[in-house]
Amino acid sequence: MPAITMTAQKRVLGDSSSVNRNVAPSPNSVKKRKLDRVPSTAGRFQGSQGSQNGKLLSSQPKSQFEEEVLERFTQDMFGLKQRNSEKDQQWNRPSLDDFDDQGGLCFQQIETEEGHLFGGEPTIRLFGVTETGHSVLLHVTNFLHYLYVAAPVSFKNSDCEGFREYLDTLLAQQYPAVASVQMVPRENLYGFQGNQKSPYLKISVTDPKFIGRLRTAIEEGNANWKGMWQGIGTGGLLTFDNLQYVLRFMVDTKVRTSYLINMSEASKRILPSAKRNVLQMAGMSWVEVPAGKYRILLARDRQSHCQIEARVNYRDLITHPPEGEWVKMAPLRILSFDIECAGRKGIFPEAEHDPVIQIANVVTRYGEPKPFVRNVFCLDTCSSIVNTRIKEYNTEKKMLMAWRDFLEEVDPDVIIGYNIANFDFPYLLNRAEHLDLTAFPYWSRMRTTQSLAKKANISSKQMGNRDTKTTNTNGRLQLDLLQLIQKDYQLRSYTLNSVCAHFLGEQKEDVHHTMITELFNGTPESRRRLAVYCLKDAYLPQRLMDKLMCLVNYTEMARVTGVPFNYLLARGQQVKFLSQLFRKAAEQGLVIPNMKNEATDEQYEGATVIEPVRGYYDVPIVTLDFASLYPSIIQAHNLCYTTLLNQKIIERMGYKKDIHYITTPHGDRFCKANVRKGLLTTILEELLLARKKAKKELAVETDPFKKAVLNGRQLALKISANSVYGLTGATVGKLPCLEIASSTTSYGRQMIEKTKEEVEQRYRVENGYSHDAKVIYGDTDSVMVKFGPSDLAAAMKLGQDASSFVSSKFISPIKLEFEKVYFPYLLINKKRYAGLFWTGTEKYDKMDTKGIETVRRDNCQLVQHVIETVLRKILVDRDVPGAEDYVKDTISDLLQNKIDMSQLVITKALSKNDYVAKQAHVELAERMRKRDAGSAPTLGDRVAYVIVKGAGGARNYERSEDPLFVLEHNVPIDTKYYLDNQLAKPLERIFEPILGEKRAGQLLTGQHTRSITVAASSVGGLMKFTKKTQTCMGCKKPLVGKEESAGALCEDCRPRMGELYQKTLHRVSELEVRFGRLWTQCQRCQGSMHCEVICSSKDCPIFYMRMKAKKDVEDAGNELARFDHDPGIW
Amino acid sequence: MEARLEQALLLKRVVEAIKDLVQDCNFDCNDTGIALQAMDNSHVALVSMLLKAEAFSPYRCDRNIPIGINLTSLTKVLRCAQNDDILTLKAEDSPDTINLTFESSESDRLSEYDIKLMDIDQDHLGIPETEYAATITMPSAEFQRICRDLIALSESVSIEATKEGVKFSCAGDIGNGSVTLRSHTNVEKPELNVEIDLAEPVALTFSLKYLVNFCKASALSGSVKLCLSNEVPLLVEYGLSGSSWLRFYLAPKIGDEE
Repeated sequence: MPAITMTAQKRVLGDSSSVNRNVAPSPNSVKKRKLDRVPSTAGRFQGSQGSQNGKLLSSQPKSQFEEEVLERFTQDMFGLKQRNSEKDQQWNRPSLDDFDDQGGLCFQQIETEEGHLFGGEPTIRLFGVTETGHSVLLHVTNFLHYLYVAAPVSFKNSDCEGFREYLDTLLAQQYPAVASVQMVPRENLYGFQGNQKSPYLKISVTDPKFIGRLRTAIEEGNANWKGMWQGIGTGGLLTFDNLQYVLRFMVDTKVRTSYLINMSEASKRILPSAKRNVLQMAGMSWVEVPAGKYRILLARDRQSHCQIEARVNYRDLITHPPEGEWVKMAPLRILSFDIECAGRKGIFPEAEHDPVIQIANVVTRYGEPKPFVRNVFCLDTCSSIVNTRIKEYNTEKKMLMAWRDFLEEVDPDVIIGYNIANFDFPYLLNRAEHLDLTAFPYWSRMRTTQSLAKKANISSKQMGNRDTKTTNTNGRLQLDLLQLIQKDYQLRSYTLNSVCAHFLGEQKEDVHHTMITELFNGTPESRRRLAVYCLKDAYLPQRLMDKLMCLVNYTEMARVTGVPFNYLLARGQQVKFLSQLFRKAAEQGLVIPNMKNEATDEQYEGATVIEPVRGYYDVPIVTLDFASLYPSIIQAHNLCYTTLLNQKIIERMGYKKDIHYITTPHGDRFCKANVRKGLLTTILEELLLARKKAKKELAVETDPFKKAVLNGRQLALKISANSVYGLTGATVGKLPCLEIASSTTSYGRQMIEKTKEEVEQRYRVENGYSHDAKVIYGDTDSVMVKFGPSDLAAAMKLGQDASSFVSSKFISPIKLEFEKVYFPYLLINKKRYAGLFWTGTEKYDKMDTKGIETVRRDNCQLVQHVIETVLRKILVDRDVPGAEDYVKDTISDLLQNKIDMSQLVITKALSKNDYVAKQAHVELAERMRKRDAGSAPTLGDRVAYVIVKGAGGARNYERSEDPLFVLEHNVPIDTKYYLDNQLAKPLERIFEPILGEKRAGQLLTGQHTRSITVAASSVGGLMKFTKKTQTCMGCKKPLVGKEESAGALCEDCRPRMGELYQKTLHRVSELEVRFGRLWTQCQRCQGSMHCEVICSSKDCPIFYMRMKAKKDVEDAGNELARFDHDPGIW
Repeated sequence: MEARLEQALLLKRVVEAIKDLVQDCNFDCNDTGIALQAMDNSHVALVSMLLKAEAFSPYRCDRNIPIGINLTSLTKVLRCAQNDDILTLKAEDSPDTINLTFESSESDRLSEYDIKLMDIDQDHLGIPETEYAATITMPSAEFQRICRDLIALSESVSIEATKEGVKFSCAGDIGNGSVTLRSHTNVEKPELNVEIDLAEPVALTFSLKYLVNFCKASALSGSVKLCLSNEVPLLVEYGLSGSSWLRFYLAPKIGDEE
């Protein structure tokens, strides 16, 4: 994020230039001012002790956050009040007055879970919110869970009852467990079945909890009634349709067409035409129960805190597809909160010892820009904050219980926060347990369900290994912004601070946890300061969520894939695809085998890469892309589970190659679409069609909320379409089919090769073109072509031409698209290139880099920054000498210790404890734990470190050090390491193709590397014994003589005293100004110009700069003072 | 500045002895001679060298010149010199390069090298002269042998000087060992003398890794002087011809720090 560093720096200078005269530049004066203020404040304290703190507010200047954010709320709120029934700062939901229990019940369901009525009857619980903002719990009854098993040959319809009884006794329950056995025609999804359905047994159970045992019994061959299944070997019997009750319900929910009056014409078109009456419920969709079909539960039967609780038979449930009117969102209540704990010095807060002192809450209704509840629950007194309710409690127990009551009253549908899943929730629970607050952990919508934090270990290819905790809040969704951002974005650091800096473009102050206790033990004023900080931490997740549109995008993902919302965060990729597959399969009467999860190491060949012709191209390079390559291959060749053929079936059906089936380059056979259209093809077609439609609607939509929804949808559809291929290749997955996966990639490889051939054959001088075209690189789904002409427009024209020419050689819907031109283009290696990206001829769109150190996280920002600047200079400004000079200057600065420390920090995630090889960040974490167990990084954290100089021959991992420690102790940084191990390679890679090896080498060893500075550390065994001998400022000669030693110059340099004094003085004042500006910048960030800066954010570049500037000022001041003692001064 | 050294060997050995501790350093040249003072990267050891003007013939230096050299580069150039070549160092008043000339004493071979200099901005740190509680003089080969033997067992050695003698002992994972030396005078070969001058008993622990590094200077002098006082760095001094010296200071290990 060098860009951010840059703007931040600019802001420092820009902002402060005008302020500079008002605010004294040295920290001392700020401190003084603060001291001056103290007595007066103290005086006021005494005066106002009786009357609490009301008047104190005026004595404390308002921070920026308060002024700009909080105060504006009421102004906006005024307008809101007129439109809305709910009032500002009013907790409870709108009253039920406007609800007519004789009318229909329509709400957006947000969470679905298994449950029971008081009678023991299994139900599906649908939690939701109506459009008027009432919370609803709907118990859906009578839906039975079931599974399929292939019927034996001799099985007759009349055998069903007998088999049912047999199974019932087998399961041996007190009451009937197996509800029914039906014989139904179904088809196995896996492999082509000759378009014939065969008899399957559908076995339904009365309670979903029996399904597992039933399945095991059947699969292990223990339910072989009358020995009807012959030849059950060791493999057991295959069952079909293994999915959870909730999903099964969502897949199967049907509605009658007569209720579909509300549907727009457009939405009907994308429904499968044959089965229009089957509509399946998706996550976050709207459901409706017509009047009279549901029963409101009596007060004594109620299980939840919801305003409306009712039961309904699943047949009476109507699901509205998220189309037209039903794309809307209910006014969900979103609670964002943050807690503060008073930790002990040096130890991270532990729930057994450290009290929770403040809880800040911000509640927003979805769709409204401003939160309508803002409050802070505080332990002890706290001065008031504008527009925020302060709730003071004298004991922690009272505060916690009041917060719980608040939670119940405000009844949020979504709870968000930053790292709430792993910190705030478990901490509150543990704390309550420690304080014996048995009534505290009831945060869910169910009256009797206690919230518990469970440990979980998620490990997936996408996210690596993570220890997490999950807390149940049944009926309320949780969105932990930290987890979400970690999952969806690759960042250097995931602290709230740096995430905000990245997405919202603003730094926030970071109060170290030891500081919190100090503030808490202070005055109501200092606690107020803490409360503002806490409130800001609660407000930021809300802003992040709005900015990143997480709620909308995830809602759309839930709607598109049809899984409940909370599956998206808690579960992997597969469930989303499976849900879609089950939906489509159910429509076509297909059943999906419950395949044994066998992890195999079988690898198949992936995508191809055309060997790059490395170099720097000063002519336009045209990029031709296959649009959605893998989905289109699957569609074009009708690859699917249902079309997969084997030799036996080909012979049985008498199929002929190329008439009935095709053989893929990988050697697998699939039948053609005229024999059977694949299920995957159908799914993909629908997804792509729906995406096209969403995009089209997006283009004409004007309502920003609907726009957001549509954009979220088209994104979700794209992701879904692209994940289809991935699932067939996941060998540890539920439904792997390597035939599909390897056939897909084999087609991909073939197509890239063919494109290359076609292009190079056609565009030749013989054929009337000005140059011979050459494919210089190709990867997975794109080829880069050098057509030859140096004119951008001509190249684009050729690109257009080539794309339509090559597309015509492939089966529809495979399409080669011409999208962009790189000009100029620097091809470094496979998957490493940079270029200016043009789509029009007037102006380039952006600078595009792949695989170059600008995006990688495992090196320091300096590298990113340098590489980016260099590329910009080379590609945009076409100024190669300028780039060279820039590199030289930077290297020279580096060797002279002039580079800012924040640029040198490397961060790495601490992902597991038992690394075999020693690694820098692991070793450092270990050392930090020894120094201060509390603040040391733990598993999953990103560790920040710099490499310092060590004893000769010390390994890298021994030389890693905490940046803060380095700053404090002035440990010398190993500049050589940064030059040789970080900068050298990427720079060489870039400059070699342009300058040639020799001149590129000079960049790293030239004259500019000969000036170095060695910092004197304050650690190290010898340091306390040494005495610093001053050296002459003019010539660096050690000043040893009695006369000279206190002075600044040696005898020989004395004539230059005037000049050198000027220089030193100038330097001191420059540094003072710099420090002053940094200090004011930090004051601005913390939002108050009159308090000392207490922020110690390790992610903030300004923080390191400020610390360094402070040291520099001190050092330079000392230098200057030497002139006072110089014998030559008089 | 111009300095002529009868034997290139001297400078070769000095540089060889310190190049593992220090990578870049300033040679401060003034009218009394060439001095060098530098710390190793981890700030545990300090090297101090003084080549007095008398060690050269002739020696001329009109004003103070710091000569910043990368020792690795200097070693490379010095390798080109024969041990008994005559070496001449030349530098201007504010130099960019230093010029080295090697003249073969036997043939008329004359080789000349220039090394680009570095501008090293470094704090000048020194150890104040102190009165040491114990001063031990012993053959440098003996000291080298002790260090080499003991490093096989452990990373650190404790040096204990008492009236009886001086005991070097160490304890490691595989066992422990010690070497004791007593005061001893060899009339025929005075360079093998072991002298112990003791004001009060001393016991200190040091890192052997550094001591072994210091021992690379053994070739420079037949005997070595160890000066110890409690809670003060150890001084290891190798005397050079003409009252020049090469000194190493090493911080003692305190407690159980690594």
